Amino acid sequence: MSEHHITPLKTYLIIAASLLFLSGVTVWVSYIDLGSFNIVLAMFVATVKASLVAFFFMHLLWDDKKNLTMFLMSLMFFGIFVTITMLDTGFRGDLGLNPETKDPINKRAAFYDTLPLTDTHGHPVDEHSDEHHEDKDHH
Amino acid sequence: MGHHNPDSPSHLKHYFHDVNQQYETSKFAMWAFILTEVLTFAGLFVAYIVYRSWYPDMFVDAHKLLDVNKGLMNTIVLITSSLTMALAIWAIQKNNKKLSVVMLVATFIFALVFLGIKYLEYTHKFEVGQLPGEFYSYMGPDAAHLNNPHIFFSIYFIMTGLHGLHVAIGMGLIAWLIYSTQKGNLTSEYYTPMEMIGIFWHLVDLIWIYLFPLFYLIG
Amino acid sequence: MSENTKQNYLNHPKGIMSWLLTLDHKRIGLMYLFSGILFFFLGGLLALVMRFELAAPGNDIISNEVYNNAYTLHGAIMIFLFIIPAIPGALGNILLPLMVGAKDVAFPRLNLASFYIYSFGALFAMYTIINGGVDTGWTFYTPYSTQSTSNVVPMTLGIFIIGFSSILTGLNFIATVHKMRIPGLTWYKLPLFVWALYGTSLVQITATPVLAITMVLLMLERFLGIGIFDPALGGDPVLYQHFFWFYSHPAVYIMILPAFGIISEIIPVHSRKKIWGYKFIAYSTLSIAFIGFLVWGHHMFTSGQSVFSQIVFSFITYFVGIPTGVKIFSWILTMYKGQVSFTPPMFYALAFLFLFTIGGLTGIFLGAVALDIHLHDTYFVVAHFHYVMQGGTIVAFLGGLHHWWPKSFGVMYNQTIANIAALGVFIGFNGTFFPQFLLGLRGMPRRYATYDEQFVELHSYSTFWSGILGISIFIAVMNLFWSFIKKNKVDPGSNPWGGMTLEWTHTSSPPHPHNFEEEPVLQHGPYDYDKVIVEKTYKK
Ligand code: HEM
Ligand SMILES: [Cu+2]
Repeated sequence: MSEHHITPLKTYLIIAASLLFLSGVTVWVSYIDLGSFNIVLAMFVATVKASLVAFFFMHLLWDDKKNLTMFLMSLMFFGIFVTITMLDTGFRGDLGLNPETKDPINKRAAFYDTLPLTDTHGHPVDEHSDEHHEDKDHH
Repeated sequence: MGHHNPDSPSHLKHYFHDVNQQYETSKFAMWAFILTEVLTFAGLFVAYIVYRSWYPDMFVDAHKLLDVNKGLMNTIVLITSSLTMALAIWAIQKNNKKLSVVMLVATFIFALVFLGIKYLEYTHKFEVGQLPGEFYSYMGPDAAHLNNPHIFFSIYFIMTGLHGLHVAIGMGLIAWLIYSTQKGNLTSEYYTPMEMIGIFWHLVDLIWIYLFPLFYLIG
Repeated sequence: MSENTKQNYLNHPKGIMSWLLTLDHKRIGLMYLFSGILFFFLGGLLALVMRFELAAPGNDIISNEVYNNAYTLHGAIMIFLFIIPAIPGALGNILLPLMVGAKDVAFPRLNLASFYIYSFGALFAMYTIINGGVDTGWTFYTPYSTQSTSNVVPMTLGIFIIGFSSILTGLNFIATVHKMRIPGLTWYKLPLFVWALYGTSLVQITATPVLAITMVLLMLERFLGIGIFDPALGGDPVLYQHFFWFYSHPAVYIMILPAFGIISEIIPVHSRKKIWGYKFIAYSTLSIAFIGFLVWGHHMFTSGQSVFSQIVFSFITYFVGIPTGVKIFSWILTMYKGQVSFTPPMFYALAFLFLFTIGGLTGIFLGAVALDIHLHDTYFVVAHFHYVMQGGTIVAFLGGLHHWWPKSFGVMYNQTIANIAALGVFIGFNGTFFPQFLLGLRGMPRRYATYDEQFVELHSYSTFWSGILGISIFIAVMNLFWSFIKKNKVDPGSNPWGGMTLEWTHTSSPPHPHNFEEEPVLQHGPYDYDKVIVEKTYKK
C-alpha cells in the first residue's frame, strides 16, 4: 500500500494551528454584538473549520472523489430536511385566519407554575424574602 | 476456495482481487457510514433550528447559563486530539510504530480529558437543576423569566450526550488500535483500521465544531 | 459444468453451526427469506382477524382495544419486519453478488451481523405481543404515543434496532455495487435489479438514521418529557410527523424500488426481448429515490402544517409520478412484440403492472390537497397503500421468488398450481381492496373496529375476498416450499427461462459455495436478446 498519499507533517501542523486560531476568532466575535449577523459569522467560521478537518485530516482532498460525494450528499439531505421543515414551522398560521396558530407552541409548560424560585445555585428561595439581597450575595 | 495466492498478504480477504480494492472498499464504506452519522445528528440539528426560531429570546438567555470557558477548553482539547490522531496515521505510514502508539495514547488521553470536562459541566447542571424536560427546576434570577428553558436543555443534553457517546465509543476503538499497533498487527503495509477509526474520530471533532458555537456562543 | 457441481451452497459445508455462523450471502439471504415469510404470515393472520371483525358492524369478534392492537401490529410487522428488511435481505442478498460476478458482498461479517441485529430487534417487537400489544398505529403519532400505556417503548426500541440492520445492509450493498463488479461489468451493463438495489440502499442509508433518532426522541419524550414533541410542554406534535415522514415516505421507496427491479428482470426474460429504455429505467430509479425525499408532507395535509408547505408538498408530489410512469411505459414497450410466455413469474409481473398502476394513480389523487382533506384517514388511503405495497411490492416479491426459485434452490415447483394461485392472488386482491376505494370515497374512516350500517355491503364483500386472497397466498408459498421438500430437482445446468444475467449463465443451480468456479467473463449485456440466443434449458 506504499502508493497511498502521505500528507507532509507540516501540513498537519498548519491545519491544527489554523483550527485553534479560528476557534479563538469565533469566541472573540461572539462578544461583539452584530445582531443576527453573529450567527451567520459563527456558522461561516465553523464551516471553514469543518472543511479544514474534512479535507486535510480526513484526507478528502486526496481521496477518490466518491468519498467526497458521499459526504456532500449527507449535507445535501440535511439541507433538504431543514429547509422543507422550515417551510412549515416558519409559516404556521400563514392564512391569518386563526391568530392562535401563529405561534403554536409558545405557551409556557404548566410545571413552571409549581417550581419555586431559586438562587443561582438552584436552591429554593422564599418568595417573600428579599430576592435582590440573595442575588447580591453571589456576585 | 483454494484460490488463495500463496504470496498474497494474510489480511487480504479471499473475495477481493487485491489489497488496493479491499482498502478502497473499506474506505468508501466508511464514508457511507459517515453519511449515516451526519444524518443522525441532522435530526437533532433540525430540532435545534426549529426551536431556536420559535424561541429566539429564550435560547439567547438560556445559553448564558452554559460555561464558555469549559466549552472553549473542550474545543481546544478535541482539535489537538484530532491532530494527534492524524499524526498516528502519519507515523504508521512511515512505519514508525513507536511514534504511532505514542500519538494514539495521546489521543486517548485527550478524549478522556474531554469527557472529564463534560462531566464537570454536567454535574454542575445537575446540581442547580438545569435539566432536560420535566426534570428542569432551575428558577434563578437569571432564568425565572424564561419561556420553556427546559427545551433548550433537552436539546443541549441530547446533542452533547450523543456526541459524548461518540467520544466514548471512539475511546474504545482507539484503545483497541493501541493494542493492535503495539502488537505489530498494523504496519505501513496495512493500517486500514487506523485510517477508518481516524475518520470516525475526526467526525467527532467536526460535529463539536458546530455544537460549540451553537450552544456556547449564541449572540 | 464440471464434476464439481454436486457441491453447492446448500449442501456444503454441513451442520447447523455452518448455517448460523455462515458468511455466505446466499445462506444469509435464505435465513432472511424464512424469517420474512414467517412474519408475513403472522402479519397476514392479524389482517384476517381484522377483516373478519369487519364482516359486520358492531364488535363481533374483538373489542376496540384489541382491534387497535391488531392494526398497529399488522402494520409494524408487515413494514418493519417483513417488507423493508426481508426483500432486499432475501432476494437482494442471494442475487446481488451473483449478478455482479463477485464471490460475496463487500463485507460478509457485517452482512451476518445485519441479520442478527434484525432478529434481535424482532424479539422486542414480538415481546410487545406477549406483553399486551401496542395501540398507537405503526406511525406512533404524538401526543398519543407519549401517553399510551401500551408497549410503545419496546416496539420503538425494536424498530430502532432493526433500523441499524437496514443501514448496514444498505452500506454493504452500496460498497458491493461500487467495488465488487467484475472487470468489464460497467454501470450500464448491470442488471436493472442491481440498479434498483443500489437506489434502495441509498435511501436506506440516508433516511434510516433519521428514523433512529426519531425513535430515540420519542422514547426520551416518554421518559423525561423533553418537550420537543409534546404540546403540553411547549413542543410541537406536528414536528414529530415531519421527523417520522422524512423517513417513512422515502421508506415506501425502500419497499417499492426492489419490486421495480424484480419486474425489470422478469419482463425482458419472459418476453425474450431486450429491455426498452434501459437508461430510462436506471435513472428513473435514482430520481425516484431522490424526489422521494422531498414529498413527505403529503401525509400531513390535515395535520395543521402551514398552507405554504401544503402547496409545496402537493406540487412536488406530482413529480414522483413522472419517473414512475417512465418505468411503466418502458415495461409495456418491452413486452410489445416480444415472445411473451405465461409463466408464473410473468403472471405476477402482469398483475403487478395492473395493480401498481392503480395504486400509483390513486396516489396522485391523494397528493392533491383539496381531495386529500376529504380522503385522508379513510379507506381510500388504505386501499391506495395496499395497492402499492401488496399489489406492487408483495406481488413482485412473489414473482421474483417464482423466477429465481429454480436458480436459488435447484428445484422446480408445480407451475400449474403456481399459475392458479397467482390468479387467486390477483382476483382476491382486487376483490378485497377495490371496494375499499368506494368505502373511503363514501366516508368510511380507517382504524375503526365497527361502522355504520350503510357500509355493510362493501365491507362484507371485502372480507369475503380477503379470505380468497389469504388462501391463494398460502397456496403460492406452500407450492414453492413443497418443491423443496419433495426435492423436485432440476439439472444444475438448467436455465429454465433463458435468462441472460450472470446468475443464469455462469453458475450452477443452486450456485457453487463460492458462487462461480472461476471468475466469470462477461460475454454480453444483461438483456441482449436481439444479439445472442440463450437456450431455455430445463431438465429434471
Ligand atoms: C405515484 C406515487 C405515489 C403517490 C403520489 C403517493 C401519494 C400518497 C399520499 C398523498 C398519501 C397520504 C394520504 C393520506 O394519508 O391522506 C399516501 C399514503 C400512503 N402511501 Fe402513497 N403514494 C405513492 C406511492 C406509494 C408507494 C410506492 C407506496 C409503498 C410501496 C406507498 C405507500 C403509502 C402508505 C403506506 C401510505 C399511508 C401511510 C399511513 O398513513 O399509514 N405510496 N400516498
Ligand atoms: Cu408518501
